[in-house]
Amino acid sequence: MRMRDTRRSGSYAAFKIMLALLAAALAFPLTAFSAGGEIRTDTENCLICHRYPGMGRFDEAGVKRIYYINEMKFANSVHGKLKCTNCHVGLDKIPHTDIRKVDCTTQCHLKEPSTEREFSHTNMVEKYNHSVHGNSDPNNPKPFPEDLPTCTYCHDNSIRSPLEGVWGTSQALANETLSRCVGCHTKDHWAQNYYLHVTHRMRHLRSQAEIIKLCTSCHEDSEKMSRHGLDSIATFKDTFHWNLVKFKVKDAPDCISCHVPIGFTTHDIRPKYDQASSVNKRNRVNTCSNQGGIQSCHPGATDDFAGGRVHAYGTKAQLVVDGAQSIAVEADESLLSERARRDMSEREIMNFKILSYIRLFYKILIPMVIGFMVCHQTLDLLATLRKNRHNSH
Amino acid sequence: MQTSNTENTTMALSAGPPDDGQEPLYFIRLNRSEKIQHLLLMISFVVLVITGFMLKLPETIVQKIGPVGETLFFYRSLLHRIAGTVMIAVSAYHLFYLALYEAGRRWLVDMLPQFKDLKDLIQNLMYYVKLRDRHPEFDRFSYMHKMEYWALVAGTTLMSLSGLLLWTEWRWSKFVLDVAAVVHGMEAVLACLAIMVWHMYEIHLKPHKSPMDKVWLTGCIDEAEMKEEHPLHYQKIMADSALQHIYIVRPPR
Repeated sequence: MRMRDTRRSGSYAAFKIMLALLAAALAFPLTAFSAGGEIRTDTENCLICHRYPGMGRFDEAGVKRIYYINEMKFANSVHGKLKCTNCHVGLDKIPHTDIRKVDCTTQCHLKEPSTEREFSHTNMVEKYNHSVHGNSDPNNPKPFPEDLPTCTYCHDNSIRSPLEGVWGTSQALANETLSRCVGCHTKDHWAQNYYLHVTHRMRHLRSQAEIIKLCTSCHEDSEKMSRHGLDSIATFKDTFHWNLVKFKVKDAPDCISCHVPIGFTTHDIRPKYDQASSVNKRNRVNTCSNQGGIQSCHPGATDDFAGGRVHAYGTKAQLVVDGAQSIAVEADESLLSERARRDMSEREIMNFKILSYIRLFYKILIPMVIGFMVCHQTLDLLATLRKNRHNSH
Repeated sequence: MQTSNTENTTMALSAGPPDDGQEPLYFIRLNRSEKIQHLLLMISFVVLVITGFMLKLPETIVQKIGPVGETLFFYRSLLHRIAGTVMIAVSAYHLFYLALYEAGRRWLVDMLPQFKDLKDLIQNLMYYVKLRDRHPEFDRFSYMHKMEYWALVAGTTLMSLSGLLLWTEWRWSKFVLDVAAVVHGMEAVLACLAIMVWHMYEIHLKPHKSPMDKVWLTGCIDEAEMKEEHPLHYQKIMADSALQHIYIVRPPR
């Protein structure tokens, strides 16, 4: 369920739909709904309308917007304890013509237990704004800010699912653990909620393939990347790391494994020349070895090993080696070209050249050798058949 | 140490020179050690090809494998390393065999490239295109055998070295590993295609060998085939009783 589906303001058509739905809803008074066996009150009565699956409209751009809320799913989601108006502020009118875009830094009136203050995602958003994906520096604004991902580009209101452990099925594990909680914490629902809050974070929510799909939805777009001076990361699929992901190997290395290893956070990914980046040369050995993580990938990693290039060489290397003249450089690519000259060291260029020559050598050798073999053996076959015919006469 | 090929043959054949010329003669092409070396090399090669090229399977096909993929990948990786170890061990044994056994030293000497091989290649190609009436006469190993053998030596060396580098990846710089990965992949394509085109033709497709040349199992060929395919070696054997003891076997009475 995506929260962003509900954020657009309604139109007159929506108003008519809502009236019809309101009439229908009045026939079925809703005062409470059940979630996970717990009776919870919809104190704002939003579900009078939003409980109906047909609720939605096509917006001005012709995009289908669904405003239906599945109460069970919502109650079991990470935001299930919140009221709708905690995030969707400005819903004073029906139809909701005064709705504002959801701001994740809004204080949502839950007490954050470590500080006893009202909770909000401000902390995360501030970090994010200073990260490689943010646009916080007024002196150095990023080109094409519309390309930068917003919170909801990566996050949906995910359903909390319990941990699947080595001790048994997730439900069995939850039952065993919760039986030790409910003696003191008498509200079962509270204990269950707390348990899910913790266990939800004890596993990767997305599979490696899903992570790669999410990141590559932008980073594989070479046009979009080149206008930010970046290489498309399609070359990741030339690496051995990708093979592990392709075969769905547990703990296979995806983007997060190297760019957000132990001690780093997804919201604070930095460019590689920033010393706070996990892929900065000074942090590479730790990143490759991932000491302290569940998966110690290359425990014996040395500076020499970790200092090299992980993604295969791409357009940047090609641009530097071939020069801007031989490749049609469009306006957007001039930034890529400039960044390529800055980022690629002489040694990297030399390495790229050597690898290219080796590939070229084989690309010439293989057709020559195999071509010779095919010709030779075909001629041999013809000669043998000729000889056999001659002998049989 | 072994002194002759016949000591090692697995066939129930008695060795020695022809006595009265009445019995059919068989000539040893591969002794027991060479047959076992070939068998191990063949099995390890096939396993390496299958488990190696699995990495190149397109994503859409791998997705169809589903959750079994992880188990498959585990055994793929394990088998690739086991087969690689077997191939390296066989190659190391082969070097040992070439140096320390008489049969091995004879193999090495007979396998060394000579100027005659270049001449044979040209003359054979001329025969193929009807510029000569007869193909050249070959010794124990023709230029075709020698090319394949030395390509195998070079290929195995490169594959073993690059494979070992990739296996111990944390010890090397990323550039060395990049070179090793490129060489390992490209050399694998070359080796595979070469075996499919060159070796498979010789063993399975050549009209009088089809469906399969059994020499890799029996180790022997008959006198007619010997005269036709290795006439120079045949003449040498027939003129030298020491060689007859080494290469000629007769079926049991």
